[in-house]
Amino acid sequence: MPGYALSMRAGARATLLLAWLLALAGLGWMVSQRLHVSTDLRSFMPAPTTPDQRLLMEQVGEGPGSRLLLVSIRGQSDAALAALSQGLAAALKEDRRYSQVLNGNFDLGALDERLLPYRYLLSPTLDTQPLDEGYLAEQLQQRLDDLSSPAASLLKGLLPRDPTLEVLKLAESWAPAKSPELREGVWFSPQGEALLLVQTVAAGFDPGAQQQAIDGIRRAFAALPGSAGAKLELSGPGYFSVVAGAQTRNQADWIGRISTVGFITLLLLAYRSLSSLLLSALPIASAALAGIATLTVAFPEVHGITLAFGFTLLGVAQEYPIRVLSHRRAGEDAVASVRALWPLLLTAIASACIAYLAFYASGVNGLKQLAVFTIVGLLVAGFSTRYLLPHLLPGRVRDVADMRWLVKARRFVDRLPRPRWIPVAVAAAIVLMLALARGPFWQDNLAALTPLPQDLLQRDARLREALGAPDVRYLLVLQAPSEQGVLALSERLQPRVDALLAQHAADALELPSRYLPTLALQRERQAKLPDRATLQHALDAAARGLPFRADLFQPFVDDVQTARGLPPLTPQRYAQTPLGQRLAAMLVERDGHWLGLGTVSGVHDVAALQALGADTNGAVRLLDLKAASESLVVDYRTRILQALLAAAVLLVLTIALALRSLRRAWHVLAPMTLATFLVLAVERATGIEISLFHLVALILAGGLGLHYALFFERDTGDPAEQRRTLHATIVCVLSALLVFGMLAWATIPVLRAIGLTVSLGVAFHFCLSILMAPHARQD
Amino acid sequence: MAALGQPAPAHTAFAEARFLAVLDRPLVVSGELSWLGGDRLQRRVEHPQHETATIADGEVTQLRDGRSPRHFSLKRAPQLQVLLDSFVALLSGDAARLQQAFEIRQRGDAAGAWTLTLVPRDAKVAKTVASIRIDGYAKESRCMHMQEADGDLAVDLLGSLAARMPAEPTREALAALCQGMP
Repeated sequence: MPGYALSMRAGARATLLLAWLLALAGLGWMVSQRLHVSTDLRSFMPAPTTPDQRLLMEQVGEGPGSRLLLVSIRGQSDAALAALSQGLAAALKEDRRYSQVLNGNFDLGALDERLLPYRYLLSPTLDTQPLDEGYLAEQLQQRLDDLSSPAASLLKGLLPRDPTLEVLKLAESWAPAKSPELREGVWFSPQGEALLLVQTVAAGFDPGAQQQAIDGIRRAFAALPGSAGAKLELSGPGYFSVVAGAQTRNQADWIGRISTVGFITLLLLAYRSLSSLLLSALPIASAALAGIATLTVAFPEVHGITLAFGFTLLGVAQEYPIRVLSHRRAGEDAVASVRALWPLLLTAIASACIAYLAFYASGVNGLKQLAVFTIVGLLVAGFSTRYLLPHLLPGRVRDVADMRWLVKARRFVDRLPRPRWIPVAVAAAIVLMLALARGPFWQDNLAALTPLPQDLLQRDARLREALGAPDVRYLLVLQAPSEQGVLALSERLQPRVDALLAQHAADALELPSRYLPTLALQRERQAKLPDRATLQHALDAAARGLPFRADLFQPFVDDVQTARGLPPLTPQRYAQTPLGQRLAAMLVERDGHWLGLGTVSGVHDVAALQALGADTNGAVRLLDLKAASESLVVDYRTRILQALLAAAVLLVLTIALALRSLRRAWHVLAPMTLATFLVLAVERATGIEISLFHLVALILAGGLGLHYALFFERDTGDPAEQRRTLHATIVCVLSALLVFGMLAWATIPVLRAIGLTVSLGVAFHFCLSILMAPHARQD
Repeated sequence: MAALGQPAPAHTAFAEARFLAVLDRPLVVSGELSWLGGDRLQRRVEHPQHETATIADGEVTQLRDGRSPRHFSLKRAPQLQVLLDSFVALLSGDAARLQQAFEIRQRGDAAGAWTLTLVPRDAKVAKTVASIRIDGYAKESRCMHMQEADGDLAVDLLGSLAARMPAEPTREALAALCQGMP
């Protein structure tokens, strides 16, 4: 046999094995040095096309609502919890990972010391009330009452500079609309937990960065004295993305461990050779490492989902070594047996690669990465199986064709009736099931795939309600050509918003102008400030008969004079202060115009809020982030379906060219197509809504089905070879059923979706490719 | 000290004179102080204007005729914290609580005239309230002086003494009144 000439001696084999392992180690090292995994979901999404989608992409990550973590501390006395709340707030305020930390302990000086004279321009007092003698007299009398009240120590310091308490009025207007109960000076829930709101700098749907922010909070808490007896709990979109990720990983891990043991046992049973087993893992390992290494070269960041999907799709490559192991004849050199298989394997590899090319054309970054990873992986797995693996495999193997059960199995398979109407019947069943299936066809809510435990959601609702934290779903978007335009629009809208709130359309709606009036309004108020002589005169008259010390209010008179000469406050100057930061998060510049983002809490009447935008030509609109995200998923799915369609066309062409016969191509492609649609129909008939993950799983199953059909279609005329084909296919089917069947039992829908789809797919592909195989009919 | 204890609710009339640096003459108000049990205290002013302040669960609620209620945290009003600590401890006869919040000095004898001086232990509170002095005779607390760190002083005449607040009080006149025989 010519194969013997190519076979190597022991020394050469060891060298080859060593070189291969070294190459893998090198790739592994390169990957460990270069791989930067991105966890931001947005980079896996298609480019947004509508303005709402674009806003969504920004808001999903950077919106004030999505970066908010709700924190509760319980399990201690109120005093101890309050001390922990204060300690945690102080620690987090120092940390640059958090842009805002609120625990209810508001400083009266919420307005920066340097901006204090601006209070007359920011407060609405002057809109309705000039600083005249009558007003001042009334205010001074009230201050006198205050001084005899328990609040005296609060006000004593403010009195000389701010006898009308503008600072307090502003602090009140900036306090959350619905703040929780204050105990020991900090927020408490009705259940007796201390509450905090923490805004992270990191994007809300970037689980990696959120994990760091959450770890930071936990560490800061653990470092506080007395924290050991208290329990810290978190909630919010960022926390959820972390929990969902960890949950999925956790379940995937233990399922993976069980199925790996099963997989190894299966292969050992099938081939009775440990060295064969270990060696056959090499092509897959090479495929994975080469795939990732290529990604690190081609892209600055690799997305975590690309890797997860990629490894799933790479499951096809496990077939290559299995085919080689099963198809060896007794005493035949491995190189020779691979050579005989190669045309068919190459067809399978090429058609899968060409099909995956379609993903590259989708234009979505995550899918491009997926295409590069899987194509490189499949090529490496295929070529290493062809050119490297056979030289390493042990020389003496058992020919599986002689196994007794296999002979019986083959005989059984051959005896199966193969009526011509099978494809028609299956197609009819598919159409019927699809037509009768109830419920929506597509699952567009990505969150439904990684659902959170009910108690977590309830806790979130409870904390959100207690804290009056903004809704993550709705945003009121104001659009104008300039920043000042947005603020002016916001000012004009405020009375209508107030009316809506009075009707309980929502619990709270915070507009940007709440924090900063327009320059025009500030100038208007400025013009109403009296000059020094007028004010002094009014003040003297107002204080007549009251016990205030003479000259006590000099700082007030000075501040009013300063305020008269101030340049009005712009968002840029304001941004240097914490409140200005809050405003900055609500004002966004985009494409030459400005957007103001109003946060909404406790929405009761969506239609009434939407009506705010009527007759504004889109200048005011209520953005439903959930609807926008679903429309984004729909776009995404459209891209995947288009890619799939293109892949299908490419596949037909490749198979037809490779087999040089349309009839043979039909025998390969028909069972594959029917099985794919059958999976879809069965899932739909059982009420499953189809998601992106189902589609990816269908592609994997399709890839595996292609192999089954290709090999069954091959008519060698040699019964032993037919048996080997059956053996290889059974091993492949069983291993796929083992791995994905386990996943189908997972409680997390995204894992179940993949597991169930692939398992069903493998079963249907196997059955249909046997029943529709051509040669048996010629028997 | 336990001898001073009374069951809740305990009410006592008070008249308060405040000597403040921002004012030329003292502010005088009068009304009733009530311990409602637990950490709840009410200070009702009847003259010259109606006003009720209630401390409960670390929060102060202030009600004044014709105005919406004002709430603020007890943490922001150290004077009230001190008032609460001393008053509740005295009325409930809780010596341990008093010891915990204040450094205590005692003069006089329990059967006759006595003076209790309390210095807050909490440094933050001490920044506002330097000390409290309570003058009493036998089982009755008669006066409470709250000396603020900035020099301001509040003198509360309690119980039967409340009716004897002069129209234009001075620090000296009040000191004499407090130390006098009942």
